[in-house]
Amino acid sequence: MGTLNREEPAPVRLTDARLPSDRVGRDEPEDWVAALAQPGAAQDVAMRRLHALMVRAAAHQVWRMRAALPDPSPHTVDELANQAADEAMTALLAKLHTFEGRSRFSTWAFKFAILQAATEVRRVQWQHREVELRDLEVEAPAHDGPDHAAEARDLAAALTRAMSTALTPHQRRVAIALLVDGVPIDVLAERLGTTRGALYKTVHDVRVRLRAALVVTGHLDDATPAGTPAGTAGTP
Amino acid sequence: MSTTAPRPDRTLTPAAVDALLQDTTPWLSCEDCFEQMDTYVEALVDDPSHHDPAMAAHLRGCPACAEEADSLLDLISDEPA
Repeated sequence: MGTLNREEPAPVRLTDARLPSDRVGRDEPEDWVAALAQPGAAQDVAMRRLHALMVRAAAHQVWRMRAALPDPSPHTVDELANQAADEAMTALLAKLHTFEGRSRFSTWAFKFAILQAATEVRRVQWQHREVELRDLEVEAPAHDGPDHAAEARDLAAALTRAMSTALTPHQRRVAIALLVDGVPIDVLAERLGTTRGALYKTVHDVRVRLRAALVVTGHLDDATPAGTPAGTAGTP
Repeated sequence: MSTTAPRPDRTLTPAAVDALLQDTTPWLSCEDCFEQMDTYVEALVDDPSHHDPAMAAHLRGCPACAEEADSLLDLISDEPA
C-alpha cells in the first residue's frame, strides 16, 4: 500500500466483518457504463452491483470516522452508510458519462461514496454546534516558554500581525474558522451556502498572502516549509 | 452566526501556524483533486513512490480531501487485483 506523501497519522484499518470484500468485485460487468446506461435486465443487475460497491465504500468511510459521531453504534453507522451510498449513487449516475476508464470503475465509484459518507459524518458531527465567524481575535503564544521556542513564538507573532494587515476580513474569518478553530470545510461551506472548492480557494489565497508577507519581513525564506522560521530550515 | 459550542483556544498553536503557512502550490482545486483521486491512488498502489506535486500539495493543505484520498487508498489496497 502506498502513502499520500504527507505527514498524517496512520489510517484506521477497516476490520469490520460486516463488510466482506467478497460482496463485490466478482462478476462485475466488463463495461459498466454500457450496463448501467442501457435499460433491461442487465441494467438491473449492474445497478444492484453498483449499489453494493457504494454501500461498501460508504461503510468503510463511516467506520473510519465513527469516533466523530455522537452515536457511533453499529445501527447509526449502517444507517449513515446506506444513506450516503444512496446519495452517492445518484451523484455517480449523473456523472456516468464522464467515466473515461483511466482507473478501474470500482475505484472511480468508491470515491463518490467516500466523499458523500465523509461529508455526512462531518455534518452529523457538527449538527448541534453553531459555527462562529469572527474577525481577528487570535493571539500569539505568550512568551513564557523555553528559550528554544523563541523563534516559533516570534513567527507566530509575525503571523498574527500579517493576518491583520495582509488579509481581508472575509479571508481572516474563513482562515480562523478552518485553520485555527478546526471547523470542517464541508460544514463551513454548508453554513455559508458555498462549496468546499470555493473555501479552499480562499484558504489557498490566504496562505499565499501570509507566506509572502512573512518573506518580506524576513520570517520565512521563499522555500521555507510551513512553521519553520527563516534560517532554521533543515536544522536537526 | 454565533456559537454555544465551547470556545476554541484562539492562540496560534504550532499546528495552526503550520496550517496557515502551508505551501499549497502548485495550485489544485478540490474539484480537480476529486477528479484525479481515483487515478492518483491507483498509481500509488502500483508504485508507492509515485509523486504528483499538485496532488501532494493539495492533500497537505486540505484535510477533507486528504482523509478521503487516504480512505480510498486504504479501500482499494484491499481489493483483489
